[in-house]
Amino acid sequence: MKRLFRSALALTALVGVAAGISSVAAHHSTTMFDHSKTLTINGTVVELRWVNPHVSLSVDGKLKDSEESGVWVMEMTSPGNLVRAGGWSRSSVKPGEKVEVDFSPLRDTSLKGGALKKLTIAATGQVLTANIRAQEMPGLE
Amino acid sequence: MQYRSYAFSYALLFAVLTIVAISPSAAQPPQHPPSVRAAPKVPTIINPAPTAQDWADIAKLPDWSGVWNPKITDQDAQIKTNPPPWNEVAKKKIDHMFAEEKAGRPPLVFFGCFPEAHPTWMLVTHNAMEILFTPGRVTMLGESDGNRLRRIYTDGRPHPDDPDPTFHGHSIGHWEGDTLVVDTIGILPQAPLAISEAAGIPNNGDMHVIERIHLAEKDILHVDLEIIAPKILTKPWKTTRIFFRQRARKFDIVEGVCVQGDYSERVDANGDHVFVPVEKTIWGNIVPK
Repeated sequence: MKRLFRSALALTALVGVAAGISSVAAHHSTTMFDHSKTLTINGTVVELRWVNPHVSLSVDGKLKDSEESGVWVMEMTSPGNLVRAGGWSRSSVKPGEKVEVDFSPLRDTSLKGGALKKLTIAATGQVLTANIRAQEMPGLE
Repeated sequence: MQYRSYAFSYALLFAVLTIVAISPSAAQPPQHPPSVRAAPKVPTIINPAPTAQDWADIAKLPDWSGVWNPKITDQDAQIKTNPPPWNEVAKKKIDHMFAEEKAGRPPLVFFGCFPEAHPTWMLVTHNAMEILFTPGRVTMLGESDGNRLRRIYTDGRPHPDDPDPTFHGHSIGHWEGDTLVVDTIGILPQAPLAISEAAGIPNNGDMHVIERIHLAEKDILHVDLEIIAPKILTKPWKTTRIFFRQRARKFDIVEGVCVQGDYSERVDANGDHVFVPVEKTIWGNIVPK
């Protein structure tokens, strides 16, 4: 019950207030992420948003070597590209599942956001990555 | 009281309609003074229904079926190996954009979910496309945006004299052997000429794009582009973009609505499934509070 409440709280936190939201760029470059850094978070999946142009995964947990917990949002490429990158679907990972995520954080360190590099699902050990440049060949199966 | 006022209104309306109906002017064609007489009637051009022969001719075209994905590593490489011949002003803007990107402040070349537009879609897309042949037309459909769509007329028509500017312009094409040659004008001046998702500037008008699209190998499609953009380039820029084919059904192109990323799916207090705006950074990242 406590977990449910916490997830509901996290979901609420994810949804912005309509007022005051500026015109945003749904489709964007990725250099606002610091790709020279890789952080690891262990936690519980809050939500996998399987939408264009960028799929996002929010995880409630603690960064490695840190006691501070919170909800982080990791972005990826589009659903179609993630399918081609290998192994992904909109049900790859579900709310409540324990995961470990390697990601490159936003350069603006005041915000809990990043670009997902590797997702490991604790229960199965399955590893999913999100590199679209790794799939550049004809006839992929 | 309210009923009486409605009744009065209907009576008045009936009276007015009656007067209009019986007046002489209603029974006769309108008499225009010479100065507002209608322009001479231009014959209507009909798109004829395709014949069986038209469909048979489609079968003689090269096989471009399947899902085509861009070779992004080659797009990346050409930023350095084959940059556009920017004019002095454009070069300064592009250099600034690269500096901003390097500093982690990528400029918003694509914003508001506008289409990447032509030819930038061909140049920098990260998403798949498919190409359909029908009599008199080639249609390119891109993944990830409902308006990522190009109509290329191959029925022999010319460009309009003064086409309405659009994101993808007006395209006419013809086949030279197995190569589709496409000529495009009428692109919005605001449409960016971009070489990455963070480096591109408006073409500022008069852009003209010529493409030669052909299979380089069985599953490799080349789009050879010549881009004439006199407001931002010193000379025509030639580049080739590479797409590779996949046929696995699991890679079929799926619907993608760009603006959907600006919203979350939620259930409201009435039990309705609704979209709710998400808050984002100025760069478009979703961030929890």
